[in-house]
Amino acid sequence: MSEMNSAAVKTGQTTSEWDPPFEATIRPYLPFLSPDSPLTGDADLPDLGLDSVGSVELLAALETAYGVRFKDDALKLENFASPDLIWRTLQEKTEPDD
Amino acid sequence: METPDRHGTAIVFPGMGPTPFANVAKFMLINAHARELLATADEVLGYRLTDRYQSAAGDYSPAGQLAFVVNCLAMARWAEDVLGIRPRLVAGPSFGGRAAAVYSGVLGFADAVVMTARLADMMDEYFAAEHPELVTQSMARLPEAKLAELRAELDGQGEFNDLACQVDDDFVMLTVREGILEDLQRRIRSLGGMPLYTMKPPMHSHLFAALGERVDAELFAGLTWSDPALPVVADQDGRLLTTGDEVRRMLVDGFTRTVRWPVVRAALAAQDIGTLHVAGEDRLFTRVTGTTRAFLVVPVTPQLVMRPVRRQLPSTVNA
Repeated sequence: MSEMNSAAVKTGQTTSEWDPPFEATIRPYLPFLSPDSPLTGDADLPDLGLDSVGSVELLAALETAYGVRFKDDALKLENFASPDLIWRTLQEKTEPDD
Repeated sequence: METPDRHGTAIVFPGMGPTPFANVAKFMLINAHARELLATADEVLGYRLTDRYQSAAGDYSPAGQLAFVVNCLAMARWAEDVLGIRPRLVAGPSFGGRAAAVYSGVLGFADAVVMTARLADMMDEYFAAEHPELVTQSMARLPEAKLAELRAELDGQGEFNDLACQVDDDFVMLTVREGILEDLQRRIRSLGGMPLYTMKPPMHSHLFAALGERVDAELFAGLTWSDPALPVVADQDGRLLTTGDEVRRMLVDGFTRTVRWPVVRAALAAQDIGTLHVAGEDRLFTRVTGTTRAFLVVPVTPQLVMRPVRRQLPSTVNA
């Protein structure tokens, strides 16, 4: 029970920062996350099935969804370790796509 | 995806990726095809492969390599039995060539076990002594023109660079000196590309001709190479291989020549192949956009094989 509460708190804290398309964009790339399980900000995405090819695909999906371009330091695989890291990268290290 | 206007089916054996024992243990211990192949492998090896695999360290241990071949072949047999697949062609990019040689009928399974075990040892020995400075770096989102720009810069600096593998039109692996990795990765990113994993030892380079020659003379010469029942599509140039000698040559060339998956894809499409059944966990070749756009890709994985089957009870049970 305590684990469930903890997950709920984490979800509430992190998803409040995300806009709705963000989680919807990420989830299809996480084959080991069941549709009814919450996605927490610190979730270990490789553990949830996001491998390197999945990260490249997800990056392209985020660029399309947000009309941005990942450049330079944004193009590090380690940015795809957790939803919080991706969100931060998306907010801080991308440029509008021309 | 668009449904390809091609009707044939091919089977693809993937290149090897890290596969923890826990991910496949249930499949290896329960699946009848895996158990049958394991019994043969254990006999050939003189030890229990699953025990060795379970305690092995590293992502590409010899036991892990052997288990990968066993599992891919077991999944292919399962796909024949349960999904009723009847492939017309076989492809096995990079490490997948080992299973492809067995499935196509070129090598007996026992020979493939010997080959895989000895290859692991011979490669360890070779790379312990040769080319310790080289690694193979994979990179995505780098179209041909950008890759050419990057390689021209490396050439200009006098830096060795060799194309090990073309995975997709904008996804390649380049063998370089380990010492330049940090600068190389920064430059890849500045060109809009994404550096992915780095492999050591490196692979698929003309520099490794001595390894290929030694493997051919000391290992392959002692194996029986039959003509394939199903043609094999060559990794390096997409040719359809129809003799055992040609498949043997392809495996030797695997040490020294670039793997060109887009060329293999084009060859499959030209042969009216529209569906790829992928026997084994693939993290690369059949996952990239150029493949999924051009083919209906059907992954055959341990998770699929072990999925519980809902059995229909006879209607009289509750009567």
